[in-house]
Amino acid sequence: MRVLVIDPDPARAALVAEGLGGDDMPEVRQTARFDAAEVAAFSPDVIVVACDSADRDTLESLREAGEANPRPVVMFADRSEPGLAEQAIRAGVAAYVVDGLAPGRVRSIVEVAMTRFALMQQLRGDLAKAKANLESRKVVDRAKGLLMKERGLDEDAAYKLLRKLAMDKGRPIGAVAADLLAFAGILKGDAS
Amino acid sequence: MSGLTLGFIPLTDCAPLVVAAAKGLFAAEGLDVTLTREASWATIRDKVAVGALDAAHMLAPMALAATAGVVEPAVPLLAPLALAANGAAITLSNALIRALAVEDATPQATVTALARVVAERRAGGEPPLTFAVVFPYSIHNYALRYWLAGAGIDPDRDVRIVVVPPPRMVEQLLTGQVDGISVGAPWNAVAARGGLGRIVLRASQFWAAGPDKVLGVTEGFAAEDPSRLQALLRALVRAQAWADAPENRGELTALLAQPQHVGAEAEAIAVALEGELAFHRNAAAVPRIEHALWQLGQMRRWGQIGDEVDRPALAARVYRPDLAIAALASVGAPAQPAPPLARLFDGESFDGAPRP
Repeated sequence: MRVLVIDPDPARAALVAEGLGGDDMPEVRQTARFDAAEVAAFSPDVIVVACDSADRDTLESLREAGEANPRPVVMFADRSEPGLAEQAIRAGVAAYVVDGLAPGRVRSIVEVAMTRFALMQQLRGDLAKAKANLESRKVVDRAKGLLMKERGLDEDAAYKLLRKLAMDKGRPIGAVAADLLAFAGILKGDAS
Repeated sequence: MSGLTLGFIPLTDCAPLVVAAAKGLFAAEGLDVTLTREASWATIRDKVAVGALDAAHMLAPMALAATAGVVEPAVPLLAPLALAANGAAITLSNALIRALAVEDATPQATVTALARVVAERRAGGEPPLTFAVVFPYSIHNYALRYWLAGAGIDPDRDVRIVVVPPPRMVEQLLTGQVDGISVGAPWNAVAARGGLGRIVLRASQFWAAGPDKVLGVTEGFAAEDPSRLQALLRALVRAQAWADAPENRGELTALLAQPQHVGAEAEAIAVALEGELAFHRNAAAVPRIEHALWQLGQMRRWGQIGDEVDRPALAARVYRPDLAIAALASVGAPAQPAPPLARLFDGESFDGAPRP
């Protein structure tokens, strides 16, 4: 069976392709964009396409134009398992299959794609959180430095003061530190 | 009130949704609305069907096709509001314009010359001309087919019609992958301003005040909370009135040009706003049953639906002028009586009666 993954996000496409590759899945290809010649040459049995790919509408038209497409393509809508197609759309995955393909095989492919899409989203979310944490630590360090300089505190006392401010205001310590730095800038005449 | 998510495609006629969000008109109705820009009409249809979108900017024939059950997922949809009238156009590449060699650039003279070029290419063994439309179920597809067929060009045999996402049409015209495009604003203006082709048929010439996009919701969403749907429609009809007011055009153009909305140059977006697209005037917001019947007639003509589809019943089920009229009345802008239907560009009149 041949599976084509169309996804404008190359990292996610790679993750899906890796998930699908295996002993009983001989051929998986990935592409950022639909190309009619490429699809005709590869002749996939299943096309997994990201919902944020603009190519979906072109794939839809292949369902209409039977002549140009001798292997009729249907959108995956598993009637025997209601809800799976809906879950896939919510997860950002659509699939087109060659008419007559065994539903069970399509199901496993769609499930792998959904899992990998969710994994990618989680990885990206973790990365954004890690970046935000790092940024917040830098801001806290600078605010500590300011308090040490202006108030003559040692590092530990400066941190405790920031933490107390955060607790009093019920806000994250990074936000309190950022405010402190901003106000210090205004007092020094940085703000315009 | 819980949040609603509305989808749109980057086209100028998404304006009512964008304006209602930007101007706080949804919030004024107590609605917490999030807009999401979608990449394809297929995804709009699927997300509305499964409830991942509560409502969306939608091609009118898509709502008819889904309710007729000829596309998956076959979830019955309603069109309680027309988002705009007109706005689309057909643009031909410079190479094709040169081959046509017509002085008189009326739509009919152009398509007569096109028929000659199509015949010459066939006689010369050249590949058929390729035209891009946005979706099989779209006014863009039907207008192109109607125009071609009127000059004796069989859209299914004499030319190739392919589907290309709107933002990519311009590059395909540039690279010569397609010879003509039938697409909504602003993409014809983007192509023409870039010197890539010439607009040969505007929707307003094809059929003045003709249909294009609607707001699409599922029957289930509409039935679940009719007052919520009315609140949504009130916000949108207010946005349509704002979008149509000439004094707001500069602000509207700038708003649409933003990358999270249409993301095209403001000068190109301004073109269709200048007299082509109507959002509010002449009862543009009211989805006309006759428009649904005409589109269903084209769907039948090109084999997308069969005779088993009861077209008048389907039109009345999907197109709901009553809902738009109620919203307009409740914001103090009662719909004017609908003007008589204009004739099509070829002089044909459409009286709303279904034809074989």
